[in-house]
Amino acid sequence: MLLLLVLLSPLLGAVVLWAFGPQLRSWAGPIGSALIGVPFLATVALWRDATAAGGLHLGLFAWLSGWTFGLQLDRLSLIWSLIITGVGFLIHVYSMGYMDGDRAYARFFAYMNFFVFAMLLLVLSDNVVGLLVGWGLVGLASYFLIGFWFERPSAVAAARKAFVMNVVGDVGIMFAVFVIVARVGSIGYADIFTRFSAAFTANELFLVCLGLFIGCAAKSAQIPLHTWLPDAMEGPTPVSALIHAATMVTAGVYLVARFAPLWSASADAQELVGVIGALTAIAGAILGCAQWDIKRILAYSTMSQIGYMIMGVGIGAYDAGVFHFLTHAFFKAQLFLGAGIVIHALANEQDVRRMGGLRTRLPFAFAAMGVGVLAISGVPGFSGFFSKDAVVYGALAAGHPWLYAVGVVTAGITAYYMFRLLFVTFFGAYRGDVDPSDLGIRHPELAGTPESSGHYAEGEEPHHHAPSLLMSVPVGILILPSIFIGWLDAGGANAPWQRFFAGFFPHGAAEVTPPLSEIASTAMVFVVVAIGFAVAYVRYGAPAAQRDAVARLRGETIRMPAVLVNAYYFDAAYDMLLVRPARAIGAWYVRVFDPHVLDAAVREAAISAQWLGHLFRSFQTGLVRAYALSIAFGVVCVVAYYALAFGAGR
Amino acid sequence: MIAFWILAVVLVASAVFTVTAKKPVYSVVGLLVNFIALAATYLTLQAEFLAVIQIVVYSGAILILFVFVIALLSSGTRPFEVGPDKAPRILIPAVAIALLTLAGLTVTALRTPLTVIQSTSTNGTTGDANAFGSVANFGVALFTTNLLPFEVTAFILMVAVIGVVLIAGDETPGEEGARRRKRRPGVREPIVKDTLVR
Amino acid sequence: MTVSPESYVALSAVLFFIGVVGVIARRNPLIMLMSIELLFNAANLALVAYARAWVNNTGHIFVFLVITVAAAEAAIGLAIVAMTFRRSAHVDVDEVSALRG
Repeated sequence: MLLLLVLLSPLLGAVVLWAFGPQLRSWAGPIGSALIGVPFLATVALWRDATAAGGLHLGLFAWLSGWTFGLQLDRLSLIWSLIITGVGFLIHVYSMGYMDGDRAYARFFAYMNFFVFAMLLLVLSDNVVGLLVGWGLVGLASYFLIGFWFERPSAVAAARKAFVMNVVGDVGIMFAVFVIVARVGSIGYADIFTRFSAAFTANELFLVCLGLFIGCAAKSAQIPLHTWLPDAMEGPTPVSALIHAATMVTAGVYLVARFAPLWSASADAQELVGVIGALTAIAGAILGCAQWDIKRILAYSTMSQIGYMIMGVGIGAYDAGVFHFLTHAFFKAQLFLGAGIVIHALANEQDVRRMGGLRTRLPFAFAAMGVGVLAISGVPGFSGFFSKDAVVYGALAAGHPWLYAVGVVTAGITAYYMFRLLFVTFFGAYRGDVDPSDLGIRHPELAGTPESSGHYAEGEEPHHHAPSLLMSVPVGILILPSIFIGWLDAGGANAPWQRFFAGFFPHGAAEVTPPLSEIASTAMVFVVVAIGFAVAYVRYGAPAAQRDAVARLRGETIRMPAVLVNAYYFDAAYDMLLVRPARAIGAWYVRVFDPHVLDAAVREAAISAQWLGHLFRSFQTGLVRAYALSIAFGVVCVVAYYALAFGAGR
Repeated sequence: MIAFWILAVVLVASAVFTVTAKKPVYSVVGLLVNFIALAATYLTLQAEFLAVIQIVVYSGAILILFVFVIALLSSGTRPFEVGPDKAPRILIPAVAIALLTLAGLTVTALRTPLTVIQSTSTNGTTGDANAFGSVANFGVALFTTNLLPFEVTAFILMVAVIGVVLIAGDETPGEEGARRRKRRPGVREPIVKDTLVR
Repeated sequence: MTVSPESYVALSAVLFFIGVVGVIARRNPLIMLMSIELLFNAANLALVAYARAWVNNTGHIFVFLVITVAAAEAAIGLAIVAMTFRRSAHVDVDEVSALRG
């Protein structure tokens, strides 16, 4: 029963805040946050039941034969639920400070609660249909929240783009789900996992996994359906933290982990997922080196880290991938919330070229983001170090040396661009009063400004200030897991994490003896990370670099390769191949089809009725002679009838 | 035989003259000739009573009625002026349709088998009820077998008289009638004003 | 009789034809009514011819009734014509087109 409370409490919050938002006003924040905090406590209370063998099941209702809906809390969904409700709660509290003064304060919390409900539905369902419903609702919540400041046309466009790409993914996952349900005859996971091997041939299984993965790729921003994630940064920073870092984009990872039995049975699918994950990881990392917007840097880093997770669960290292999800949720949320503090303090400035020297002015933000950067780069001792190592070593152990190489190189690049972010933002002199063109910025108005967002109420002055307690406490709380939670996987096979998931996931397809030992792999990763740090330090962090920061930044901006600036031309390609033809078809419909076919049909119907009327009217001449003529004609007909019928002939 | 052909020519010629004459009085005269020829034709067909009735009723009463109405409508300086022709080319379809009727009737007639029965008594007196076509023969048939139609005919005639009185007898005496009668003769208004807005 | 009934019927058809043309093609109402009388008489002729052919005086009775009705109809028709065109400038049935739609 408590499980139902976990699911429905955020829904209640969403409904209440939607309906009574204007009346509740500033109470919306505490109410929304409380209705996320309660499920978190409930989930913690259910820990024991969930970790029992088989997990906790709560059947809800049976619809058709084989279609029983219910909730389940097993180890996998437990991890996800804790993150969703826990990190979600912290972000809600943070939002109470960040969104303070916003005109649509209550609506924000309503949408956030709705998102949490949808995500919980996704992970707590014990059947694919519930998963699918949660999947769709999460996409909807993302649309609401990206376009939250809907007076900004760029926000609306970004929300639409995200939603459309998610729909593309939805098509894939829906086909896969339909095929599964049709073949297996039931929607529950338990039934599916026991019956699927008999229901599918190898090729069919690959296609099903492909369909599922298309959904993952869209939701988790993997290549080629990744272009929506950078644009999704148009939403408020808490949204970026919760949805586009910690939870929604990891739904794809959850899907693969949940369907582990299917994936483990199809080596081709695993290969595909691993390759795409690795590709996304390195592509996202490279693009992160070319960004100047603080949130976009973090967006591409999210894309890259999720690539790691996908690679991990794709090739069969399920516990490694899930562990990386766990650590990433903490340090990415922390990075985003810290960035939010910076943005808030600098009156919505988001371009790092115009920051600098914030180490002294915003020490708390520096500390928070510093810890986050250390974690994500994989500096030994911090959480990211353990999880990233687990993933890449898992790739090697499963027999994918090329993926391992890509993972290692990406770790180095990650270190480089994250430290670049840290140095440019927090070190050196403050560059906020430097003329933008000196920094190479050609369109200063495209960065966030108070006027371009609906953040401030009318007439309010933008303010430089230290963050409020509501914002700093959640960030502070997040620092601890970012540092320490990695130790859960320390200690080899006896690590708490390994024991937690022992026997839960099926084994990967092939277990080969890896060419490197785990120690050697860890050392190699460390070396690469150190190289990345060193390059970033030389370019941005060294005192010499900081002295002529303005000139260096301008030079780098001007010399940035076009292919990186345009994000590998994915957007341009989509525009050319899909958007323009669709627009052209729409325009053709408006110009040709609608007026000349549809309207014409209706018009012609009316005209023909009129014409018929005119025709009959022309008979009514009113002339006696004409009427006499028609009578005579009638006589002719009668006579003809008699002549033909009764004239027997001589 | 000869009689038939002569009468046929007269009938057709007078009919054509009736239909095509310029003035209505000419038409009346043509019609009169037609009726007389028709009466003669009836005589050749041994319908003696009908021949007489034809002359007495048709040419004697109906045609006189026509003459009176022509006289009534002729009061004025220029009687029988016609307005513009609103169906100018109606003659062609009219002739076509009429020819079709003609052809149809002829074909029907020619294709019906017919055996002529010679009458047993062609020479009988008018009062001989057995002679076909005699007045007595006709009278017997009229007042015995066909009595009901005869009575109904009387009824029809009564209705016709009442109808004529109601339709055409609208001369109200008194002020209104005097006002009407004081209108200047020769001034005519068109019957119906074309009020239809196009 | 030496003349076959078909000749009389043919003659009747010709008279009918002339009458039909006259009704449709003339605009003077009086002449139209006279053409209608022609039609009646054509029919009468046919009836009498067949009565003679089959030696059956029902045909004569019928003609008698037709003549009577024709008389009544002519009376009423002329009354209508007289009343309609009493004070009109043109004695032309084309003028009576109030039923024009």
